[in-house]
Amino acid sequence: MRVLIVEDDLEASAAMAKGLIEAGHVCETAADGLAGLGAAGGGHFDVLIVDRMMPRLDGVGMVERLRASGDQTPVLFLSALGEINDRVSGLKAGGDDYLVKPYAFAELIARVEALARRRETGSVQTVLKVGDLEMDLLGREVRRAGQEIDLQPREFQLLEFLMRNAGQSVTRTMLLEKVWEYHFDPQTNVIDVHISRLRAKIDKGFERAMLQTVRGAGYRLEA
Amino acid sequence: MRLPPVLRTTPFRLTLLFLALFAAAACAFLAYIYLATAGEVTRRADTQVAAEMRSLEAVYARGGLAALNQAVIERSSSDHVLVYLLMDRTGQAVSGSIGQSPVKIGDRPQTWASFVITETNPDGAMVRLPARGLQERMPGGEWMFVGADVGEAEGFVVRILRALWGAGALVIVLGLAGGVLVSRDVSRNMASLIDVIDAARSGDLGARAKVRGAGDEYDELAGGLNDMLERLERSVGGLRHAGDAIAHDLRSPLTRLRARLEAAMIEADAGRADPKAALHQALDDADGVLRTFSAVLAIARLEAAGDAPDQVMFDPGQLAAGVAELYEPLAEDKGLDFKAELTPGLNVKGNREFVAQALSNILDNAIKYTPTGGAVMLRVRRRSSGDMEMSVTDTGPGVAPADRARVIERFVRLEHSRSLPGVGLGLSLVAAVARSHRGHLELDEGPGVGGETGPGLRVALILPKVG
Repeated sequence: MRVLIVEDDLEASAAMAKGLIEAGHVCETAADGLAGLGAAGGGHFDVLIVDRMMPRLDGVGMVERLRASGDQTPVLFLSALGEINDRVSGLKAGGDDYLVKPYAFAELIARVEALARRRETGSVQTVLKVGDLEMDLLGREVRRAGQEIDLQPREFQLLEFLMRNAGQSVTRTMLLEKVWEYHFDPQTNVIDVHISRLRAKIDKGFERAMLQTVRGAGYRLEA
Repeated sequence: MRLPPVLRTTPFRLTLLFLALFAAAACAFLAYIYLATAGEVTRRADTQVAAEMRSLEAVYARGGLAALNQAVIERSSSDHVLVYLLMDRTGQAVSGSIGQSPVKIGDRPQTWASFVITETNPDGAMVRLPARGLQERMPGGEWMFVGADVGEAEGFVVRILRALWGAGALVIVLGLAGGVLVSRDVSRNMASLIDVIDAARSGDLGARAKVRGAGDEYDELAGGLNDMLERLERSVGGLRHAGDAIAHDLRSPLTRLRARLEAAMIEADAGRADPKAALHQALDDADGVLRTFSAVLAIARLEAAGDAPDQVMFDPGQLAAGVAELYEPLAEDKGLDFKAELTPGLNVKGNREFVAQALSNILDNAIKYTPTGGAVMLRVRRRSSGDMEMSVTDTGPGVAPADRARVIERFVRLEHSRSLPGVGLGLSLVAAVARSHRGHLELDEGPGVGGETGPGLRVALILPKVG
């Protein structure tokens, strides 16, 4: 996966690049919005990580121009302190996801990978398959090894998100945002309870547990 | 030389300015009065002189020079206000009350003149009186002069002038005194405001200006100042408190984190143990620090924003149902009886995200602090006042009345809860959300002591009615 980091804090930018390269991705950096616009112009990146506040051309301005030129590369906005409706204005400008500093690196990687993956699976699917787990999106049915599993509507959505991001870590915050559409950090890991209920339904009675906990990051559905 | 403070005030300067304007106006007025009155007096003297002259001409026409001479002698000797002089063709005095005419004999048959009459008054002192006179050539070539002093009338003008000057002086004295009084009043009012500003400048944000209840512009100013200081104090106090709390809440996890890493390094150096477990712990600690940090940021941002942004109309029952759905498994896992009583079809205006977060924090707290076997009830209803109430009642240990105001403050966690996870920001954030929606937070006793459970707690987020 090719990632462009547009960030004027060079130290942060280098640390991010190092982490992404270690995770097996190809990384380039640009130090401000104009440089970022130039680098992104080639259109050969899978994801852009764009800081909100930068000299010369800020993140919002850069992404607006990019979108105006027809470039639809997924963008993850980073914001230093974030005004109260930063997220809304960032998404309005054409961003696809939003992360407020300080963040855990695992959160950044998980979100970048989710953005890239979303792009890959652009076509409309009616059936999701991960290993022996099968989800029929039209019939609202889930089977594992041919055995039907009865899920509550929210459990269904949760599993759908995990299946769409199978093999990759998703964080609790991502689940809360994408499945429940809440953009806040709950005090308790309330998500854990939902995950353990889902786990009980899809992994119970099977030798191999698919839904795994990733320490310091979140969860991962493994085939 | 510095003027005394009361004389340096704006109202006093205004008083001086008005007095100067008044004095100028009074001078102009006096000048006009003088000119008008003096002119009138002269005109009256002229009329009198002209009438007398016509009467003498008539005497001359009837009886000739002899009759005129006779009349002049008679009129001069009588106690008459006018002066007379009859002269022959060459200007030699024939008869009259003055010895010499102030007008030279000339070609013109008729000449008006202003002159001065010197008189001896009853005390024997010499008095010089301004006068007007007319000299005419009689048909026979003789010259007749008639004059009238205007002193009497001038005296009247002088008296008027003197009265006006006196009145002017009185006005100036009263004006100055009034100016001083008004200035002192204004100074006193301003002084209390200035004292408050000085106190605030030197760091005492608790100072408040006195509002006298007169409803005037000073009260308005004092009220505005107090309001400003109130907000400033709250926000500065909040910052100070947040700083202390961040230091307090972040220091222990950071210290723990550091110690763990240090120990892991020693272990790893000695090749004794796999540092992985210590690293996992360190990651958890770091996550805790980040969580505290973002909670503090959330509250600070909300309080800085004043009114919550992006407010829309929504159904609070639906929103509560979503939050309830998120927390129900947590309550069930803990063995709590969880119920939700949500009135459908209500309307409230607010930022959905913040209200959801506030409700989730209240619910989170209730589930966290209520022991297994207890009950938690979520309720959304409209009060008779029209305000919206979203409340959570639990059967936990509750909060003592004395502590209720305190738990809403940032970062306060009561002693018995120190061992539970969470950073003690929950209810502070709820209170901040309530404030940013012009609503408020209510803490009450729950259903009361029953069995082994505590008095319980009822936390209600009240949002103002729509419209």
